[in-house]
Amino acid sequence: MKKGAILGIIIIAVAIAMIISIYTDSSTYATFTDAQKTESEIHVVGELNKTKALYYKPTEDANYFAFYMLDNEGTECKVVFNGSKPQDFERSEQIVLTGKMVGGEFHASKILMKCPSKYNKDQVEVTESASTNV
Amino acid sequence: MDIHYQGESLLPGQLGQFFIVLSFGAALLSCISYFFATKYKEDASWHKIARIAFFINVVSVIGIGSCLFYIIYNHLFEYHYAWSHSSRTLPVHYIISSFWEGQEGSFWLWMFWQSILALVVIVRGKSWENPVMTSVMLCQTILASMLTGIEVFGERVGSSPFILLRQALEAPIFTNPNYLSMITDGNGLNPLLQNYWMVIHPPTLFLGFASMVVPFAYGIAGLWQRKYKEWLQPALPWSLFAVMVLGAGIIMGSFWAYEALNFGGFWAWDPVENASIIPWFTLIAAVHVMVAYKNSGHSYFTATFLVLISFVLVIYASFLTRSGVLGETSVHSFTDLGMYWQLVAFNITFFGIMVYFLVSRWKELPITKKDEETYSREFWLFIGALILVVACVQIIATTSIPVFNALFGTKVAPPVDAIAHYNKWQAAFAVLVLILSAIAQFLKYKKTTPKVFYFNLLVSFVVSIVVTGVLLYFTKVYTNFMYVLLSFGAVFALVANARILGDAFKGKWKLAGSSVAHIGFALLIIGALVAAATNKVVSLNAGGSIPIAGFEEREKPGENLFLYIDQPIEMGGYTITYVGDSIAMPNVYYKVNYERKDQKTGKVIERFQLTPNAQQNPKMGLIGTPSTRHYLTKDIYTIVTSAPKLDGPEEEGHDHEGHDPNEGYEEPAVQMVNIGDTLRYKNGFIVVKGINRNATLQNIPLTSGDLLFALQLEVHAVTGETFEADPKYLIKNGNSFDFAKDIEEQGLRLRFTKIVPNEGMELMIYQKPLPEKKWIVMKAIEFPYINFFWCGTIIMTIGFLLSIFRRNKELKGKIA
Repeated sequence: MKKGAILGIIIIAVAIAMIISIYTDSSTYATFTDAQKTESEIHVVGELNKTKALYYKPTEDANYFAFYMLDNEGTECKVVFNGSKPQDFERSEQIVLTGKMVGGEFHASKILMKCPSKYNKDQVEVTESASTNV
Repeated sequence: MDIHYQGESLLPGQLGQFFIVLSFGAALLSCISYFFATKYKEDASWHKIARIAFFINVVSVIGIGSCLFYIIYNHLFEYHYAWSHSSRTLPVHYIISSFWEGQEGSFWLWMFWQSILALVVIVRGKSWENPVMTSVMLCQTILASMLTGIEVFGERVGSSPFILLRQALEAPIFTNPNYLSMITDGNGLNPLLQNYWMVIHPPTLFLGFASMVVPFAYGIAGLWQRKYKEWLQPALPWSLFAVMVLGAGIIMGSFWAYEALNFGGFWAWDPVENASIIPWFTLIAAVHVMVAYKNSGHSYFTATFLVLISFVLVIYASFLTRSGVLGETSVHSFTDLGMYWQLVAFNITFFGIMVYFLVSRWKELPITKKDEETYSREFWLFIGALILVVACVQIIATTSIPVFNALFGTKVAPPVDAIAHYNKWQAAFAVLVLILSAIAQFLKYKKTTPKVFYFNLLVSFVVSIVVTGVLLYFTKVYTNFMYVLLSFGAVFALVANARILGDAFKGKWKLAGSSVAHIGFALLIIGALVAAATNKVVSLNAGGSIPIAGFEEREKPGENLFLYIDQPIEMGGYTITYVGDSIAMPNVYYKVNYERKDQKTGKVIERFQLTPNAQQNPKMGLIGTPSTRHYLTKDIYTIVTSAPKLDGPEEEGHDHEGHDPNEGYEEPAVQMVNIGDTLRYKNGFIVVKGINRNATLQNIPLTSGDLLFALQLEVHAVTGETFEADPKYLIKNGNSFDFAKDIEEQGLRLRFTKIVPNEGMELMIYQKPLPEKKWIVMKAIEFPYINFFWCGTIIMTIGFLLSIFRRNKELKGKIA
């Protein structure tokens, strides 16, 4: 057999292994309802329920941060994160959580936020003091 | 609709816009002329036009940059770009980085580098100039179109940096002709980007990206002009240059992330990072097979294909990062500026050119039918390149999950633990690449005697085993089989290449470049492996927290440590104390003292202070910047993750009318007391000493029927201080009054308000809330041996530089 053929077979084998690996490692975007049904870690996309207070009291525990999130179906769930409150969390528009359900709480291992970026959400801020000369 | 706006200076924008259109037109003309100059070689006028158009393009690119800089530098906030990326408080060097914070600025940067590189091509290209510049100017034309912002058939093409604020946004204030006077400041630069690495990292990265067009253009020129073999030689130093600069740029980004961002690491396999490393991998592979082809005649197609695909992947990378397709999978990609399809077209154009030439010239390509010898360098170089390509495919496949979602309408999420997913594959590929980079150095081109080869290999192998053992012992990465393999691979590559380097010193200096670069790469891998595998959070908060409901069932200790000011805490062998902060607006520097004591004698053997800072940005909240203690063998990285808000001056509202005299105090505690009682308050206790029936009042004369009592109190603060107080109670003409006593130092107000016979005296204790003790929450990570990573990078860059010199000399024919 030619070396080229052997190489080809090896590469195809590796490629198949890679595809399987990506397939098994990849997860799905789910809702809290889906999360309730599974044991494994999943992604949940949603937004912060801004009407409810965030809970982060570093004086009591610097590694406990809890908040309420609405997933894309509007289901609300309490989310607990074992860490400090991510910077600028209040302003987040969209949150992607990685984690799993523990009882009635969603325990997030990773929080990714999309904040109102300067590129798309422009709001002109007008300062009062400067407008006196109108 | 006709509003005469006041105070706008429209000239720089109009001039800039003119330059954009001019640069687009000139680039297009130059591209077309170069095309015809290549086709009709006898007609020199095409060449002349092409060059003139090119120089007009260069001038207009510089013109665009100058106008944009003028606008940002002079804070002309009537322009959207200046308003959204800069502010008045920004120091000049950050004005430079605000220049390329936006997509438009970074496109400009790309264009600018491309025109500089094109100048070099013109000076040195000789007969290659016409065909090579055709591709380069095509790319330049497309880039210029990204900046035009002109509507064509109702579709906006590109996004201009010179768009006015009132054109970009819709807001009621723009009906006011004097709106500009209301906009006092811009949005400012994202605080994360206010770092000197952000001044230097993007230009380097874009120089790397831009320089990849040159090997591509040579490849296309070679196929187009049927100079199949000749193009590789001039393309080789260019490829080395691109690989060197892009590599340095990527690692600078990684250093920036490590030094300035709060990721807590140097590589996170974020899609944006992957996008830049993908073309680097393929071009590295290309460089290797180009050398193999040059020396053996093998791997022609692989070399050509890899050179061409590398630039296509650069464009794919800019599609990934700029089109918004990555969406929620990446923290730091740009959002869509409405150029999605334009970027797709950019991709398709260059991919199409590559496919067209490879297919149409397929039968003429000098591909050898002969198999390579097993004991030959070219064979193993080819294998190495193949492994790099497969590694690259893995990165592309996982990174492109959002692209597949967009293509097929699926909703697949990327791996939950992306870092583990990538590491699993890339570590294996790295082992193979490292081992090959050692083995191939002992092989000769064409044919090697197996005996000599195995002998050389065996010596290096044995030495490597010993060194690996030592390395494993010190770095403690023997816990994982993959780590052991990777360490061995890196050490093997290091030892083998060090031997070659030794030969280089004996006179075979030609080989120095590759061996130095490989040594650098091996060191880089060792550093990355050890730092990534053994870095540990030292600020573990195991059980140090106050137990409250819901906290107990936590599975792992937290990674953040809470520190009160001046209260030392033990952490990972150090005693750390938060001792205060200094404010240099807009940054607050938190001073954290580290002390390490000798465990037996208790003597302090080491003491240093880290000052992680945090910007209390009104728009973005608290933005932490780490502070790192660098040792030769490890780094201690410290970042503030939470801190109390600084009091703004406007928060104190003392002056409003009709306020309660007891404002500023908490709800009082009302108690009946008798002589001898002791009462608690927040900061100590109060003893009721007695009652004075003969008290006097300063301003109110007492008449015979009046009764005045003073309660004699002694206030003991926890600090040990004592204070005297005598609040008074007056009954005058049947009405009762009381005269409170304040103890400012303790934030206390004491009122004696009633006397109830047989029960005692009523005392009201008002307390101000205690001034909040200062605190911070911080996280500290220890990164062992990370210096290998940075050193490796520098050495690798030097290696590339040596190789560039060598290949350049070959080009000039000085050495064969």
